[in-house]
This record gives sequence, C-alpha cells and structure tokens, in this order.
Amino acid sequence: MEQPMISFRGVSKSFPGQVALDAVSFEVEKGEIHALLGENGAGKSTLLNVFHGVFPPTSGEMFIEGVKTTFADTHEALMAGIVKVHQEINMVPEMTVWENLFLGLEKRRFGFINKRAMIEETRRHLSVLKCDFSPTARANTLSVGQKQMLQVAKALLINARIISFDEPTSSLSSKETETLFGIIRDLKAKGITIFYISHKLDEIFELCDRATVLRDGGYINTFAVADIDRQTLIKNMVGRDVAMFAARHRPSRADYSRPVLEIEGLASEAGDFSDVDFTLHHGEILGFFGLVGAGRTEVMRAIFGADRASRGTMRLKGRQIANRHPAHGVENGIALIPENRKEQGFAANLSNSDNIALASLRKFRKGPFVTSAGKRRNALIRGESVRLYPNDPAFHTRNLSGGNAQKVIVAKWLSTEADIMILDEPTKGIDVAAKAEIYSLMEDMVEEGKSIIMVSSEMPELIGMSDRIIVMREGRVVAEVGRGNCDEHTLLTYAVEG
Amino acid sequence: MNKLFSTHGRELSALIAIILMFVIFTGIDSIYMSPDNIRDIIEQATIYGLMGIGITGIIIAGGIDLGVGSALAFTAVVVARQAVNGVHPVYCMLLGIVIGAALGMVNGLLVTKFKLQPFIATMGTMSIYRGMAYLYTEAIPVIGVPREYRFFVDGEILPYVRSSILIFVIFAVIVHIILRYTCFGNHVYAVGGNEEAARLSGVRVGYVRTMVYSLGMVGTALAAMVQLGKLGAGDPTTGQGYELNAIAAAAIGGTSMAGGRGTILGTVLGAILFSGLKVGLIVAGVDIFWQYVATGLVIIVSAYVEVLQNTLSSGPAAKRA
Repeated sequence: MEQPMISFRGVSKSFPGQVALDAVSFEVEKGEIHALLGENGAGKSTLLNVFHGVFPPTSGEMFIEGVKTTFADTHEALMAGIVKVHQEINMVPEMTVWENLFLGLEKRRFGFINKRAMIEETRRHLSVLKCDFSPTARANTLSVGQKQMLQVAKALLINARIISFDEPTSSLSSKETETLFGIIRDLKAKGITIFYISHKLDEIFELCDRATVLRDGGYINTFAVADIDRQTLIKNMVGRDVAMFAARHRPSRADYSRPVLEIEGLASEAGDFSDVDFTLHHGEILGFFGLVGAGRTEVMRAIFGADRASRGTMRLKGRQIANRHPAHGVENGIALIPENRKEQGFAANLSNSDNIALASLRKFRKGPFVTSAGKRRNALIRGESVRLYPNDPAFHTRNLSGGNAQKVIVAKWLSTEADIMILDEPTKGIDVAAKAEIYSLMEDMVEEGKSIIMVSSEMPELIGMSDRIIVMREGRVVAEVGRGNCDEHTLLTYAVEG
Repeated sequence: MNKLFSTHGRELSALIAIILMFVIFTGIDSIYMSPDNIRDIIEQATIYGLMGIGITGIIIAGGIDLGVGSALAFTAVVVARQAVNGVHPVYCMLLGIVIGAALGMVNGLLVTKFKLQPFIATMGTMSIYRGMAYLYTEAIPVIGVPREYRFFVDGEILPYVRSSILIFVIFAVIVHIILRYTCFGNHVYAVGGNEEAARLSGVRVGYVRTMVYSLGMVGTALAAMVQLGKLGAGDPTTGQGYELNAIAAAAIGGTSMAGGRGTILGTVLGAILFSGLKVGLIVAGVDIFWQYVATGLVIIVSAYVEVLQNTLSSGPAAKRA
C-alpha cells in the first residue's frame, strides 16, 4: 500500500483551561477529498491550525508522505506546498489581484518586480479556475467567492500538494458553490489532496471521499462516505454528552400570562431585518435560530440599543420604550451578552473586578466616588454566583479561558440586575464543561425571575434549553416552534425554506 | 513586594530610575542633592508635568493631543493680556482654565462628532491655536505681567515651595481621583481598553472622549499660566515641541500609547525623571546637545522596560491571545 499523504499520530493541543485536541490520530490518502466533521468546538479548526503551522501541537507527531514534519509558522507550511483557503479571507484589500497573488512570492527582474510577467501568470491561473475577473482589479472589489478563487490560484501558483478548505461555502451562492466544487474536483484530478471542513452534510456526501469525525477535541472515527448514511454521521458528531448537557434539569419557569418584552413590527435602519414581532415572557428561555445572515444578532442589537431601529414598537412590561443607545438598554434592565467576547464583551486592560462593574458603576459610588472595595466585593459575589475560576477580582479577564471570560461577562450583567438577558451564541468556542455551566447559569437566571433570549446556531442547545424557538430567515421571523414538537430537521427546514 | 511590583511596576521602575539618577549625578557633583537644585528640578518638572497629567488621561482613553503646545501659547497670551489690564489673578486663572477646557473640547468634538483621527484632528488645531496666538498678539509678546499675578501663580509661599508646585500637586491629585475613583474615570480606562465593549456596557463613549480632551487641556492651561508667572511675559512663540515633552513624561511613567493603561503618579514621576535628567546633565557639564540624545534614550529604554514587563507578567498565554 502507498504511503499515506498525511498521518497524524497522537496530536494534542491544550490552551489554558481547555484541551482543544486530545491525542488525535488518523491518516489521509494521497489525492482524496477528506472531510473533517464535528460540531462547533470539536477541534476541527485547531487541528487545521496545527497542521498549517499556526501554532505547534502540545504533543504528538505529524507525517507528510512518511516524513516527520513540523512547521514553525504558516509560511513554512506554505513553502512545503500546504495551503489553507481561509474562513476569514485575508488579503490586502487596497492591492490588486495580481499583487495579492504574488505577495511574498514576487517575481523579480534585475532586482525590480517584473509586473508584466506576474500579470500574465495571474491571468493564466485565473483562466484555469474559470474566473472572469481581471488581474488588475483591486481585491476589495471582488466577491467572497472570487477572493476564495484567488486563494486557490495562490495554491496552484506554489504547486500545492495539500489544500484545506475551511467552511468555504458559508457565504457563497449556490452557483458559486457549484463552481467551487468543480474546481475542487479538478484539483483532486491533478493529484492534490484536499482537506474539507464543512458543517453542511450535503456537501460532504456530494464531494468527499472519506470523512473523519472529531468530537470535543477527540478522534471518533473515519468513514468512507459511500458506505455511511447521514444518521450515523450525525450520531457520531453529536455524541450523547452534549445533548445530555444541553437540557433543562429543572422545571420550566415560563409564565405565559406575563409578557415582559413585546416587539411589534421592528425594522432596522440598515435593512437587516423588518416586520419582526415576538413576545418574551417572564421566566422564559426564548431561542432564536437562523442561518448566518438571518438577522438574529441585528434584532438583538436593536432591542438593546446598540443599533437604531427605524420602525416598530417595544413594550417592556406594558410600558413603551425606545432604546437609542446601549445606555438606554442598560437602564431598562436589558443585558446583551455579545457573540464576540474579545471584541465586544470585555476590555483587555481591565481586571475582572473592573469588567464586572463596568455596566453598573453607579452602584458602587459613595458620594461622587466609586470605591474599589465596592467593586471588589461585587466581583467576588458575582464571580461566585457564575462559578468563575479563578474567582480573583484582580485577575485580568484577558488571561482567562473562553468559558471563564464568558462568565465574567455574564457576571457583569448580573451586576446590573437586568431582567432580560440576551445571550448571543453564549457557548461559542468554549469547552463542554463550561457549556454545561453556562446552561446551568441560565436555569439559575430564570429561577430568579429573569427572562432569557438565546441566539444560537447550535441546534442541540437551542432545542435542549428553549421553552420556545423563533426561527428567522433573511431578516424575517418565519416560524415559532414550541418545546416538545421541535427537532433539528424542523428548525433547519424553516431556516432554509421559510 | 511582589504584589506591589505587579500592580505598580511602572511607577516603581520610574522611582528606581529616579533614585539611580540622583545617586549617579550626586556622585558626579554633590551640588545635585542641594535643596536649591532639587527645587530647580521640581520646578522644571511642573510645566511638563501639568501638561503630561492632562495628556495622560487623553492617551488612556485611546486618543492623543498634539495641540497642547500651541494651546499653551494661546492661553498664555490671552491671560497675559488680562493680567496686564489689571484683572485679578483669581479671575485670570479661571479665565485660563475655561479657555483650556474650551480648546480641549474642540479637539474632543472633532474626534467624536466628526470622527476624525485624533492625530490629524489635533495636528490641525495645533496649527490653528498657534495662529490664534499670533493673531491675538500680532506676534508681539505681551510684556509687563504684574507682580501680583506672578506671585499668585509662582510666588515662594513657603521656604523652597512655590505656589506653582502647589498647583502641580493639587491638579495631579484631582486628576488622579477623577481617573481612579469616579465613574467617568473608570469609563476612560474602559473606552481606551475596548471602545466597543464599553459602548455595549452602556458607556457614553462620545461624552467620555470629549470630556477627557477638555480635562486634559486644563492641565495645559495651568502650565501656560505657571509659565507666564515664571517668565513675566506671554509669548506667542512659546510651547513649540512641548507636546512631545508632555507625551514623553506620560510614556516614561508607563502610559501605554495604545490606550487603556497609565497612571497620574507614573506621569508625575516621569516628569521628574525627565527634568532631573536635564538638570543633571547641566550639572555634570555635558554638552547641551547631548541632552537631546539622553532624553531620547530615556524614552526608548523606558518603553522597552514596559515591553519586558509585559512579557514577564503575562507570559506566553497572553501572547497567544
């Protein structure tokens, strides 16, 4: 038998407070399209990052065509013919297509860059990929799909042996997706090995030869796609534990006779959503499902006051309110726990105590002065109630693991004593144990009489935790599903087809 | 000790540097430790210190103000004219503070309302304020500032203690309290650390940034009035390059140019280190041009110390994040 193209042996990677990869071993054959599957946080991206030299593994080895390989950085991997087509596409937007393509690989003649030769070669690669944009176009005029093609062109330019695609179709139209699949099959025909990450199972069945499933950082199994059905794959991906964690352990507190927040005809100034109606009740956990771009986050930001709504009414316990600034949201007892923790959730220069106090500073005033002792005491109490570890008010939030940083943000909003907690992707990128704790905190909150809106793309947790689920699609509410009669298939159908 | 170092590392290193400086220069010439000389150092630190304190708040909030030197000149000439006209020193002071607050607020509004980058906005007002100083005086220094005014802002009220030093200390204490112990001050640090997170926590980011520019320029106005007392004349050409000295005092004292980090105590120590070095080089008889080189080295070394401290205190985990 031929040497496997790639072989992972016991590859592990840990971050502070989190094991992202746990002794993963499997092999990828030469010239196959190999899918990497798993839920969010299963370790797919971590594995790819290790593979492409973004960071070294904590332990374990990697062989490429039988040769033990370590990459000091991504550039070394690139030079070894191992290219990643990124999820977030990084190129210099102000530079042209050919400049981006040859960035770091410029052709020179007599010490000067050889512009004509590079443009010519760019044109050739683009025509191989059936791209219809000009080599001299600026990168920022390209669509996402075109930028992706440019990355593929780069892979061809350096004679790549292995190309990884990380969720390449997430923002492509169906036509673009089809084109991309054609290209990927062409690459395979050239003997290039493909790593393919996607959570869209249809794509896996359409495109891939074999699939490796990861779960919670561990290796589960590798299947030949032709021999397996969808149900088995899902069962392997989901695993019992997550489904078990993401469940209500205490009785529902939803009181449907007590509406807390009534939204009618809400529309955004930017046009991200319109005609949004829904009601949140006392003690309820209301889930929001939808695909990326459905407008869920935007609705929440408008309710909180982070963005302006152009139309619609909001009633808080019967009283009409208008939140035009986050400060209004805070005053009205609404909390927004954002999806991007690092960018929006906490300040990196502040300690836990300062981050937790940030939205409720006035409470710690004596006369005109905020007391450190007050903030400290508050941080200890709130930290305790969210089971923060380490519960040290002086600790810098930026040095906490993702799960604990999230708890600091939750603590910040508990400190404001908000009645309505809006959690946007609350368990994104945190490990399973921390997820379970967040779920348990949510149950604590509704027990205290708060109401929760949970925006999530993870169907198991939405189904497990919500009293009701609202599905959005293209900026509109398309369905409301009650607890008990909802499953992943139903949700997805609404989200995709309305 | 360890704990003290982890919370006040930058102030401690500035303090150690100051002690070292005293040991070295006193070794070269014992006159360095004489009360007269020390008073000299502190008096020289007053001007840059006052400006530095103001600019520290601005930098912590994630901004910068290049216009302080020009604003110093404008404030000085306006206050000088009023003092010459016989306005009472107290009213002169109040007028100066109001002018400073207004000039700072203009910078703040340009940054917040018109969304200009602080560097560009304040570079523009730097030129405008300088022009205003020339226009106001027709480029002729305002001379003959009366003795009452000069005594009021810079008189020796106690042996070795001039009122200017008192102004310096009082302003430092007030700004320290504002930054540390008020909601506004907490918000300044939060905005400088993560503007979006602060906004989503209900912080009025625009208000905070505007007010911090205004407060910062009050420091410059105080510096202008103290300098006016020392010189006795309002010169529209004064203050050129002072913005860099004020920023240097903040930087030496550990204020991060990226925003979010810095203390008033650090800036005060930075200003003292800065002026102590200047005086020391004169005492040591070093060629005056070497002072520029030495000053630059201090800025670079202190910035490097910060880099080292960051790597040591946060370790590889923070590096990855």
